[in-house]
Amino acid sequence: MASSSVVELSRWQFAITAIFHMTFPALTVGLSLLLAVAYTVYVRTGNPLYLQIFRFWKKIFAVGFGLGVVAGTVMTFEFGLNWGIYAHAVGPVIGVTIGMEVITAFFLEAGFIGIMLYGDGRVKPRTMALASWMVAAGTLLSTTWILSANSWMQDPAGYREVDGQFHVTDWWQVLLNPAFSHRFPHMLLAVLISASWFVGGISAWYLVKRRASALPFARRTLSMALGVLAILMPVQLYVGDATAVFMGGRQPAKLQAFEGNWTTDNNDYNLVVIPDTDQGKNDFRVGIPYLGAAIGHDLTGEAKVPGLLQTPPDERPNMWSAFYGFRAMYFTALAMFAAAFAGLVLRLRGRLFTSPRFLRWLVWMTPAGVIAITGGWITAESGRQPWVVYGKLRTADAVSHLTLTEAALSLTGFALLYATLLTLWIRYIIRTVKAGPEPVTDLRTAQPEGSVV
Amino acid sequence: MSEYLTYALVLLSFGAYVVLDGYDLGVGILSLFDRSERRRREYNELIATAWDANESWIILGGVALWAGLPGAYATVLPGVYPPLIAMLFAVILRGMGLEFQSASGTYRRGWGLLFGLASLAVTLCQGLVIGAVLSGLPQRDGHFTGDALAWLTPYSVLCALGLVCVYLLAGAAWLQDKTEGTAHEWAGRLGRPLLGATLVAALILGFGLEVADPQHFPFEQPLRATLFGLAVAAALVCSAVAWYGFGRRPDWRPFAAVLGAEAAGLLALVAATVPVVVPPSLTLHEASSPQGSQVFLVVGVGLCMPFVLAYNIYAWWVFRGKFREAERQSPTTTAPDDGSAGPFVPPPESRIVVIVRRTLLTLLGILLAAVSQDIFGGESAWVDPLGIALLSGTALVAWILGDRRARRLGEYDLPGGERP
Repeated sequence: MASSSVVELSRWQFAITAIFHMTFPALTVGLSLLLAVAYTVYVRTGNPLYLQIFRFWKKIFAVGFGLGVVAGTVMTFEFGLNWGIYAHAVGPVIGVTIGMEVITAFFLEAGFIGIMLYGDGRVKPRTMALASWMVAAGTLLSTTWILSANSWMQDPAGYREVDGQFHVTDWWQVLLNPAFSHRFPHMLLAVLISASWFVGGISAWYLVKRRASALPFARRTLSMALGVLAILMPVQLYVGDATAVFMGGRQPAKLQAFEGNWTTDNNDYNLVVIPDTDQGKNDFRVGIPYLGAAIGHDLTGEAKVPGLLQTPPDERPNMWSAFYGFRAMYFTALAMFAAAFAGLVLRLRGRLFTSPRFLRWLVWMTPAGVIAITGGWITAESGRQPWVVYGKLRTADAVSHLTLTEAALSLTGFALLYATLLTLWIRYIIRTVKAGPEPVTDLRTAQPEGSVV
Repeated sequence: MSEYLTYALVLLSFGAYVVLDGYDLGVGILSLFDRSERRRREYNELIATAWDANESWIILGGVALWAGLPGAYATVLPGVYPPLIAMLFAVILRGMGLEFQSASGTYRRGWGLLFGLASLAVTLCQGLVIGAVLSGLPQRDGHFTGDALAWLTPYSVLCALGLVCVYLLAGAAWLQDKTEGTAHEWAGRLGRPLLGATLVAALILGFGLEVADPQHFPFEQPLRATLFGLAVAAALVCSAVAWYGFGRRPDWRPFAAVLGAEAAGLLALVAATVPVVVPPSLTLHEASSPQGSQVFLVVGVGLCMPFVLAYNIYAWWVFRGKFREAERQSPTTTAPDDGSAGPFVPPPESRIVVIVRRTLLTLLGILLAAVSQDIFGGESAWVDPLGIALLSGTALVAWILGDRRARRLGEYDLPGGERP
């Protein structure tokens, strides 16, 4: 049907737009919770420190949320623009799921965010707190629906095929499909963790710079971020491992690709590989013996890590993206675990706010969560190839009737636009952080009427 | 039956979008023609409180179309690829201009211009898309089969210009409602010429549709003819009210009348074309997804809709009345980094103790990471979960105790000394 270059270009376009979109929810879901908590504490105690926290993080959240909305609008239409055949086939399943996401979650966020961001002085502080919680609830619900939709594509259930279209036979099986029960907790933890590193890293920067006016502010948010991280990081490693084991069972080719082996003859954990796809072998490989088997839950080291040659050639995903996507996620996760553990030890020793080396390390960890999420999604999506609906619909058969020019021009446009937008977004974050939180004296005079103080 | 309900949902969403984001976009375009920087910023801020919610409707419309009428979604979107992609680019640029403008304390010419120009581009692209759909797309079995320029017809260009008039009209009516002073007068003066232009455009587009649209409009059916006639009459009445209301109090009247006229116009179009959704031939029935999906969609969305409307109306009500600039938050001043926190001096410790401690802690960390990864999962099911529970539990207790300690030491006390 469509030429293979249109498929390639459309895949690149989808990858770029999806990754770009993902970086915003990766921060805003967790930030919305921080904002809700901070404002609630402010309403209950009247401590202006929490208003300072709310006002500062609101600035970053507002712009991130707005950019996430427009990037999400692109996603909604892209399913039909570039993947018309796919859209027609899965509309009765995924379309409905995403429709429910829009009506239950998206509207909730969008409806209340105006009040949350601009309602100061117009509504009672309690209403502001409620609006903040509604926005947070919306972001969490949104995560749930989207993971349900994507997990169905990873491991479809509860449907039958009629004339090339998927018709639902059991909604519970569709919505709570087997992959969802593993992937949803994994992603939920991931977005909370990535926002925590973001908050923690930026707070640490104020402590590293010893900016006197921001010290209580920075200590307060740093303590919250590291508290969340020390609790969630171990859980996340466990959930992540369970997800990998489960998905490896459902999609063996994905596991073979992200472990970086072609032949099933070693028990190494590969650190670096240079795969040769045509010949079906690695040109170069560095691995740690026994570790691959141990991570696969076999402490004797007997088990061999399965290789990609077990999968027929026309059903193999690309090893490059699956392997390095997974490594980006996993190595970052280990660094995150180490930092969270170090934070726990320092807290127990009463030195959390005064260890310059640890704080500098935290500043570097600011984007860690976003990097790990990106790597994980690259593994999940590219490891599912060549299928768009696993085992049922091939990506190459799903593309719209488009000309090469159309696909190439739109891809170029998105690439340029998103590169610009990303630069501006990062510059905005840096500027906002450098400007720092508002001085408390201003906050005291600008307090909304009726607050408890 | 379910397909008509689905269609109603799709139309409601797109209708709400045209009505709500229409004024948004109109104000954006109007901001290009105002010289005053203060007012330009004011227009931006007027929109900033509501645009997320307004734009949600197009997303709901798109997704409802996909879920409920996948045949139409899969035919239209590839068919209007270039203008729709251009619209998405413009939507992004507009959001960028609007948010960065709103986030910076003062008026920034670049962001303001971007906001205005992108609003215009979004409108033009939407008009092209609507025109392209109305003048028919080459199709077979729910798939688009035409070439890359199928969307470019004289009718779609006219439609784009017509839509600019409609949105400008809605924008002017909104400004009359929300602003005071110069902007208010200006909006009142602009209203009637814009309304005239919109009516002329509607006439041209309405009669042009007979020529452009390849399908036959079966107006001989009495029900259809009656509905069409009623909708057109309602649109005319609303327009008359708007004509009268521009430049007169109450200020909300022109906006309400314009909304009514837009809704009635849309109904007239639907009455004329139903059950064809994508001319020339794709009907509602052929484009539909299976009944189960449509019922789920309509019931699911229908149950949520009252809540959605309720809180959207509430959000509107919060920002009712004339726009007033939020009390300027005074520009944040950067305190000098005087290093008053004082450098941290660690107490003297034996080197060996430090090395031993660090080694042990590193080993402990590696062990805990391994446990977290369920490394003993092959041997025993409970060892690793128990280890994680202990670790996370310790972290929670440490967090609570650490916070208490920090509070006692005054680590969280604001400068100025007083504690709330």
